[in-house]
Amino acid sequence: MAEWQDPHALTEGEFLDEVHSFEFWFGAVEGYLHDRPYGYDPETEDIEMDDRRKDGLITTLCNYCVGETAALEASSGMIGFAPDRASQIFLSTQVADEGRHLEVLLHRLTMLGVRDPKREIEARANRSLLRFKERLLEFVDGHDWEAAVFAQNVILECLEFTVFRNHAQNADPITKQILQGIVIDERRHMGFGENDLGRRLILAPHMHDRLDRIKRELDSLVLTTFKQTLGELGLEGDDAPDLASDYLGAVARLGFGT
Amino acid sequence: MTNFLSGYSIQKWLESCPQGYLEDTVYGHEAGEKEPETFFENEVLREGQIRSTCNLVLGERAALAASSGLVNCAPDYLSKAFLATQTLDEARHVEIFTQRLFDLGVSPANLESTLNQFGNPHLVKFAEVLLEKVDKGDFVAGVVGQNIVLEGMAFSVFELLHAGAEADNPKFAHTLSGTIADERRHVGFGENRIGSLIKEFPEKKAECERMQAEMSGHMLATFASAFKQGEASNEEAQRIKKEAGDESHAMYHGVDLSAANTEEMEAVLADTVLKEFKTRLGRIGLEYQSPIAA
Repeated sequence: MAEWQDPHALTEGEFLDEVHSFEFWFGAVEGYLHDRPYGYDPETEDIEMDDRRKDGLITTLCNYCVGETAALEASSGMIGFAPDRASQIFLSTQVADEGRHLEVLLHRLTMLGVRDPKREIEARANRSLLRFKERLLEFVDGHDWEAAVFAQNVILECLEFTVFRNHAQNADPITKQILQGIVIDERRHMGFGENDLGRRLILAPHMHDRLDRIKRELDSLVLTTFKQTLGELGLEGDDAPDLASDYLGAVARLGFGT
Repeated sequence: MTNFLSGYSIQKWLESCPQGYLEDTVYGHEAGEKEPETFFENEVLREGQIRSTCNLVLGERAALAASSGLVNCAPDYLSKAFLATQTLDEARHVEIFTQRLFDLGVSPANLESTLNQFGNPHLVKFAEVLLEKVDKGDFVAGVVGQNIVLEGMAFSVFELLHAGAEADNPKFAHTLSGTIADERRHVGFGENRIGSLIKEFPEKKAECERMQAEMSGHMLATFASAFKQGEASNEEAQRIKKEAGDESHAMYHGVDLSAANTEEMEAVLADTVLKEFKTRLGRIGLEYQSPIAA
């Protein structure tokens, strides 16, 4: 590992180089991925699930795979037009994170008896989430850095952070550990988005209106996705967690209020 | 295919790379290792090291752009996952070779101008041929160009540099050891994954072969100009070694790098890479083409 340096002694540029580096990423993930192949402690026993619960979980995990594939394709596509080396390297760590998320979720689907995950994902994918993915990749294909960072590292990461964190509270022990590992990564990705856009907004405050328009467009897709996810997990009615408020709160904490 | 690709999973990568041969390293080498003092006492040597490292950075930047660009057009989840690990490997290579430039005294503010000053224009053209395929979303040609041609070249260049550094510069030799291990995995993926795709899409053969011939031409031009520019540095290193009474030998494919001139080095490197291309292309069902002169 890199020798520890007092972060207060670094210039802003040096600090960003440090926290966006492979070395930093490796130090961050090492603790929670060691001895956890495919994201969970192999000693953990899987629980018996009735068919309805298992089917709901499979649909949910299939949709998580859609979200993670969107994040993988977007973050890898963004490397080509990232504004500096530190951002390129951070995004490369994010690519590996998103690839890992996809892999552990696919592995969990296999454990649940899904033989052809690709076909299953296509059959069960949520339309709102697919539309979200389409919009995100349009920003990436258009090399629109601010919109892509906003849609990917703020909106999508907040969506996943909110859903995974809530789902982990009620999940079976293996899914719970997998989701908790993913949530830690999402926090790092959100931090990058907040930091990058925060610095840009100081230099170009007018950008806020544009990001706000993008947020309003994507919010409706996010909120529809939440509703369907809760239904799949059997968490409807008064006891259902208020994902919409959680999500809007998380986005607002990053500086993008309603 | 699924079984073979499971050997290239992120889980396997985590265990073998960050939790394996990179564990306890700092920018790819052991903590506390430094560049040899002679580089800082002799400007010809230092410039030679900066020049060659600049080209490593540029090559790795091209590999990063290519591997990240290929994630989207990969036809299956397992290939996407492997390319995600390759993307991070290439970013790490960019980072460690950039750090080496800083260790050699290049200031971060002068990084881009130094790369412009010492970057080899033939290497830029080599990368352009590959990135054109990636930009078009051509997965088969992209992987042949990236994982067979570019990585095959990088693998041999790293081995040559490693042989030269092993005795006198353990820091750089250790840095290169990790990159060699990475490149071996990348080339392995290319050979295994593309073989089946070439069988599935035989119409892609001619295009891939043409690309290999073009890239090989730019690669040979890169070697020719890089070794020509490295002449003074090589002679200086050999003179210092002789004066110090150092009789150690650095062998690379039968050539003693401690005594060879740059023309001999260029010849053995070019010969090694082209032979490797022939073997690897044959394995995936492509016919090696003579380089098109750049």
